Amino acid sequence: MTNKQNSALTGLCAGIARRCAALLLASAGLFAGGMQSAHALPSFARQTGQDCAACHVGAYGPQLTPMGVRFKIGGYTDTDGKDGKIPLSGMLVGAFTHTKKKQDEAPTVHTDRNNNTTLDEASLFVAGRLAENLGAFIQWTYDGTEHHSALDHVDVRAAHTFDVGGKDTVFGISVNNNPGVQDPFNTMPVWGFPYTSSAVGFGGGDAATMINGGLEHRVIGASAYAFWDNSLYVEIGTYRALSQAIQADTGQHRSGDMGRLDGDTVYWRLAWMQDWKKQSFTAGVFGFDTAIQPDRLSGGPQNHYHDVGVDASYQFLGTRTHVGTIYTSYIHENQTRNDLFTKGEATNRTGHLNEFRINASYYFDQTWGVTAGRFVTRGSRDTLLYADGYANGSPNTTGSILQADWTPFGKEDSWGAPWANLRLGVQYTLFDKFNGARHNYDGNGRDAKDNNTLFLFAWTSF
Amino acid sequence: MDLVLKAMSLMKRRTTAPVRLLYGLCLMTLAGVTVPAHAAGDSHRGEDVFAQECAECHSVREGKNKKGPSLFAIVGRKAASIGDVVYSDALRQSGLTWNVASLDSYIAAPRKAVPNGKMKYDGLGDAKAREDLVAYLATLH
Repeated sequence: MTNKQNSALTGLCAGIARRCAALLLASAGLFAGGMQSAHALPSFARQTGQDCAACHVGAYGPQLTPMGVRFKIGGYTDTDGKDGKIPLSGMLVGAFTHTKKKQDEAPTVHTDRNNNTTLDEASLFVAGRLAENLGAFIQWTYDGTEHHSALDHVDVRAAHTFDVGGKDTVFGISVNNNPGVQDPFNTMPVWGFPYTSSAVGFGGGDAATMINGGLEHRVIGASAYAFWDNSLYVEIGTYRALSQAIQADTGQHRSGDMGRLDGDTVYWRLAWMQDWKKQSFTAGVFGFDTAIQPDRLSGGPQNHYHDVGVDASYQFLGTRTHVGTIYTSYIHENQTRNDLFTKGEATNRTGHLNEFRINASYYFDQTWGVTAGRFVTRGSRDTLLYADGYANGSPNTTGSILQADWTPFGKEDSWGAPWANLRLGVQYTLFDKFNGARHNYDGNGRDAKDNNTLFLFAWTSF
Repeated sequence: MDLVLKAMSLMKRRTTAPVRLLYGLCLMTLAGVTVPAHAAGDSHRGEDVFAQECAECHSVREGKNKKGPSLFAIVGRKAASIGDVVYSDALRQSGLTWNVASLDSYIAAPRKAVPNGKMKYDGLGDAKAREDLVAYLATLH
């Protein structure tokens, strides 16, 4: 459990009714600002016979090169043609987290208020080709900060390539448990920078859009997609909430149930990728529309979320000795909070939330990397919805992330390839504004910069 | 190709020049090899082209097969001839031997050169870049 999750649950205990309302929106922030799942899967390398560096910038996941994009769109099924590949992988993320000022409460019952050395993730994956046109990415994760395990990301795909007008066109279906987890471009929140972050520090503010992890692992959805001539990507799908029983069976906390999703929930994506080998470019738009009934009662009021985003990326790949990337996205969310308003948990029936992200990275020799990112979350004020832990009823948070990392393996001549994979990194997150203010955002004298988080990590997969 | 060169080296010591030339031509013909070596391209540039276009799937190390076969000593090699690689039926039945001309043609448009082949590469349209690339491949012995 992250500090933000802890904060939200503390608020829940302090005033049940109003906190339930806040939880609905803030829970999106719990995921958005909390630990970012991290993935780099040697089972893919073993299956294809390729090096990690072929599909991943910096020779480590999840930042995809155009080849990695094609592998994912192809349903994780591409192979070197040899039999006997077992689609299993494991991953460990160990970390040390220091915040500029110790937190008001320990982030979890198993951690301290500051200077935590933790096992952030221990994951097992079923990842790779299951049949000729069927592949999967299924992750089960043990969270060492909570001593709890749960089903993590799931993306099961069927895909086949047809000839359309003389051009290869991949048609596929993805069944997954998180809107955006199926996206291949590293610009949407699920797979965006930072690719790993502290489970017990601060990664962002508490408010986030619904597509930014708001329904993560609480839903199941299916989408159909097509990828024409390695360039044009289109996708449309829908989601349903998992029952509370299934959520519990898959290890999700009951308190985080979002409620029931309206039958008209829609996820859509349109993007263009231009792969010139030496460099590549993507640009796209995406959206997510849903209405949530928190109490799951038929006929009750709903909260509507209408998310629309634009995104773009550029990669200079060259001879792979010097690699540079830029990613950016902007998401606008319109909220109509009928349920929250009716229950007196929001001051305004309508509101909006905007998220802007941009980051740039440079990798030398697919080994040494630096990345700098900027995040801005801004939204309309609401003194009830953004009450405890927020200043002025504002969800606004801004800050920057700096990271340097070393990835010694994952190349053609690497020791232990393709079994040994490691990234060591240092990441620092700086806040200009947190939950509505630079200073005293929580009313107890805590400043935004007090949440500045130093995160040292060792991330390995096998 | 190595055998041809060794045979010609042996002939150098035991025959006159016109006979050596005749024998050499005969050996070349028997080996089914078009003289490849003097690819006109810049092999140094070709190494960069290789890194940009080919290295994700191919290694130049001897015996290192990735998704595609090792390209070590590719020039002079019969297509689909490495035992540890799963080739398409189309390439196995192509009867190709890799030389300057066949490599250039294949790299330019793989699916045109070998219909129903399995190499997922759209082709390198830049003739100069192909020339450099093939020149680099010709150095791999």
